[in-house]
Amino acid sequence: MVKEKYVGQRLARTDSLAKATGAAKYTGDIWMNRRDMLYAKALFPPYGHARILSIDTSEAEALDGVVTVMTADDLPGKNGYGGMVPDKPVIAKDEVLYEGDPVALVAAETKEAAERAVKLIKVEYEPLEGYDDPAFMLDPSSPMLHKDNPFHKNHNISDEQIIRKGDVEKAFKEADVIIDNWYKTPLVDHAYMEPDVAIAQYDPIQGGITIWSPQHAVQLAKRAMSDAFGMPQSRIHVCSQLVGGGFGGKEDSTFDVSVVAGVLSIRTKRPVYFELTRDEVFKGTGKRHPSLIHHQLAADKSGKILGIKVETIIDKGAYKSIDAIPSRTTQYAGGPYSIDNALTHSWSVFTDHPYGCAFRGLGSPQAHFAMECQMDELAHRLNMDPVELRLKNILRDGDTTIWGQPMMEERGLGLEECIRRVTSDPKFNEPLDNSDPRIRRGRGIACFMYGTGTGSATDGAHVMVQAQPDGSINIGVSASELGQGFLIAMKQIAADTMGVSIDKVYLDYADSAASLESGATVASRTTVLTGNAIVNGLEKLKERFAAVAAPMLKTGKENVVFFDNKVFAKGLENEGVPLSAVIAKAFSSQVPLGAIGSWYPPMAAPKGDGLGDKMHTYAFGCQGVQVAVDIETGEITVEDALLACDIGKAINPDTVEGQFEGGMAQAIGWALMEEHFMSNGRMKNHTFHDFLIPTAKDIPNLRTIIVEHPNVLGPFGAKGVGEPPIVPGAPAIRNAVYDAIGVAINEIPMTPVRVMEAIKKSAEKS
Amino acid sequence: MVTVAFTLNGKPVSCQVNETEVLVDTLRERFYLTGTKKGCGTGDCGACTVLLDGDAVRSCILLTAMVEGRSVTTIEGVGTLEHPHVVQQAFVDASAVQCGFCTPGMVLTTIALLEKNPDPSEDEIRTALSGNLCRCTGYQKIIKAVQLAAERMRKGN
Repeated sequence: MVKEKYVGQRLARTDSLAKATGAAKYTGDIWMNRRDMLYAKALFPPYGHARILSIDTSEAEALDGVVTVMTADDLPGKNGYGGMVPDKPVIAKDEVLYEGDPVALVAAETKEAAERAVKLIKVEYEPLEGYDDPAFMLDPSSPMLHKDNPFHKNHNISDEQIIRKGDVEKAFKEADVIIDNWYKTPLVDHAYMEPDVAIAQYDPIQGGITIWSPQHAVQLAKRAMSDAFGMPQSRIHVCSQLVGGGFGGKEDSTFDVSVVAGVLSIRTKRPVYFELTRDEVFKGTGKRHPSLIHHQLAADKSGKILGIKVETIIDKGAYKSIDAIPSRTTQYAGGPYSIDNALTHSWSVFTDHPYGCAFRGLGSPQAHFAMECQMDELAHRLNMDPVELRLKNILRDGDTTIWGQPMMEERGLGLEECIRRVTSDPKFNEPLDNSDPRIRRGRGIACFMYGTGTGSATDGAHVMVQAQPDGSINIGVSASELGQGFLIAMKQIAADTMGVSIDKVYLDYADSAASLESGATVASRTTVLTGNAIVNGLEKLKERFAAVAAPMLKTGKENVVFFDNKVFAKGLENEGVPLSAVIAKAFSSQVPLGAIGSWYPPMAAPKGDGLGDKMHTYAFGCQGVQVAVDIETGEITVEDALLACDIGKAINPDTVEGQFEGGMAQAIGWALMEEHFMSNGRMKNHTFHDFLIPTAKDIPNLRTIIVEHPNVLGPFGAKGVGEPPIVPGAPAIRNAVYDAIGVAINEIPMTPVRVMEAIKKSAEKS
Repeated sequence: MVTVAFTLNGKPVSCQVNETEVLVDTLRERFYLTGTKKGCGTGDCGACTVLLDGDAVRSCILLTAMVEGRSVTTIEGVGTLEHPHVVQQAFVDASAVQCGFCTPGMVLTTIALLEKNPDPSEDEIRTALSGNLCRCTGYQKIIKAVQLAAERMRKGN
């Protein structure tokens, strides 16, 4: 029996005061008082694609203060690293495939010397054509970017995924309506506030290395960099300090900085500091994959969706990185709807762009953008209410998804409640003020689903729990504190499970030497997977301690209750003994105080044709927005945004709302302003004054509704919450713009230029 | 090199710096005041905000040599873990902190705002904070924190 004393409460985060007073230390805050630290710089190419003809490092090496200059010939191990496959070179050897490929590295005694030295390296390049268009590169007759592409028989494809369900051709033949449109989404940066940074320190005792770098996965890092360091995975020790924002990006970008600091430290046997400038972060680190989506939807005249055919071309950039986007875009191409016939097909294609990596939502925002625009197109065509149309088609208990997974209410299925609560909201139903002919107002909604966890065979979580004889508890977890608030959520789960006050729980986190493989802090998985592993570990301790306590309490071990730092027999709360006394007794009775807690979701079960169960549970949601469009300037203002999201159980409603609001704001940025412009493999905008993200002036009052349909397999009923809130914003805004001006805009961001072009094109047509 | 003497968090200090050194580097690397963050180096993101004679300024585009004789306040100078400033406490109480990298700058911008305008409207708050980027929060709880701090300061607690 577990009482919920902390779970569900709005407890203040443990890290907030330290952050608000400047006392919290990030990776970049711990180097400058180290006298022995070397400072690193990388030389990046002035081309998106070029052959390296020669490199002359002699002048740089001769500069006072320079300790070493490295090129691809000087590496300690293989010239490759990466989260999934080691395909990204530590230092480019013969060719650069994008602007973020380092050509040479410098380590110097001072920052100034390192900065001067990279400017003294002479490189002769032969510029090559930079490939910007993934649709062009998909053609088998296009030039080859990677020699001997190991990933696919077509030389530029990184990954290809297909889902086939039912009989699509028959569904399209029998349809009353076919909606056929193209959609396009941009290349965007995560724009985390903390630039990428790493400190590496060679370990001469066992021939290993320690890396400090903000990231999502300290255990994955060992595997990702082992080849490059020429060391067994076991010798790589990785710590992630507080992370100054990640959103998926630092799952990979940490490797870009960590391998540089690492190989320099291995070479010099000195600690090395390496930090990217913001310019280098923009040009070099991973991005959200741009997508080009051809979406065809067949329905009958009542609005029932009969089938979909969807093709998605994804810009992979230069390297593989995290390549789940074809899988996710095929999975979510039909949104949260019950559709019997589907053919969804996606390709990720190499170009000379920054590599596409994980970014909040991992392909789901792109897929849902197309599908939810299609839903409004269908509603317009049939002259139906878009809300009724969605309610007619949503997944309900017993329905199967397009990938053939049955949906179960016991795993949490709150989409209908989300839709009803948004669309019945009084403010969302107030009359629109359209008195000014220049300012047109409209409303739109969008729905979505999003799986908890990676849905892959490796998904699982393992933690170390250790009781102390004073009644406090250590928990070793590999997860990172990215700002999402996992520390407080895990403390709430652990304190209630163990029946201790929350101050008794201390997390040893984000340190590969104090934790076990637990998967990355990604995929909206930590609360559920790591939370369940903590519950499992603590239950093991409780079972042991109950056996120790039973004779002390003169009761059977099945009657022992843990609550309020005490242990007592059921019903005899006032006669208990302190937990510390029981732990101390266990300590002196050959009862181990430590255990490993583990949890695996039900195994993902592929059945061919892309069908089979994927994630064990899904978050669902609906967002409504109101926009005002200035039809003379094309400027769109989001005036109201309301998100209802079913996340099973809010372990801490404050941090859950924080995730909702942050995701909604990022969606506004993606929908309206964020876009990197690439030409010949070079990025045209790489500062915060030409790559714009939302300021406080661009965001309305963000309204949120937490919906809780518990997941029977989640800790206290929880499902994942981190990524879902970004998914519905862009299509909801686009549908609201459609409602306001009667013009469909199928390419984001909907910048004033695109809005004016669409208005002009629409006027010419009519 | 030039010698610069100024007031830092209420105490007179002086240091020798290169003519091109910017204040954020001086604060972090010479005085180890690492609460001032460097997010962009181009004056766009606001993470490096400090108070210069009470005004919120970007220390990444301010030459250290230019603060001669002036008063600089960093996040460490306004409150501590034991005795946080009312604005810092409001950020905690309103759950306005996520990754925290923008938070010191947000706090200092808020202090400068409330000094001049003790009862700002939501729009005035958004305008004042519009030079400080946050990627985590959507600004929602930050606005609430500023309102909470303003209310507490007006009530004198």
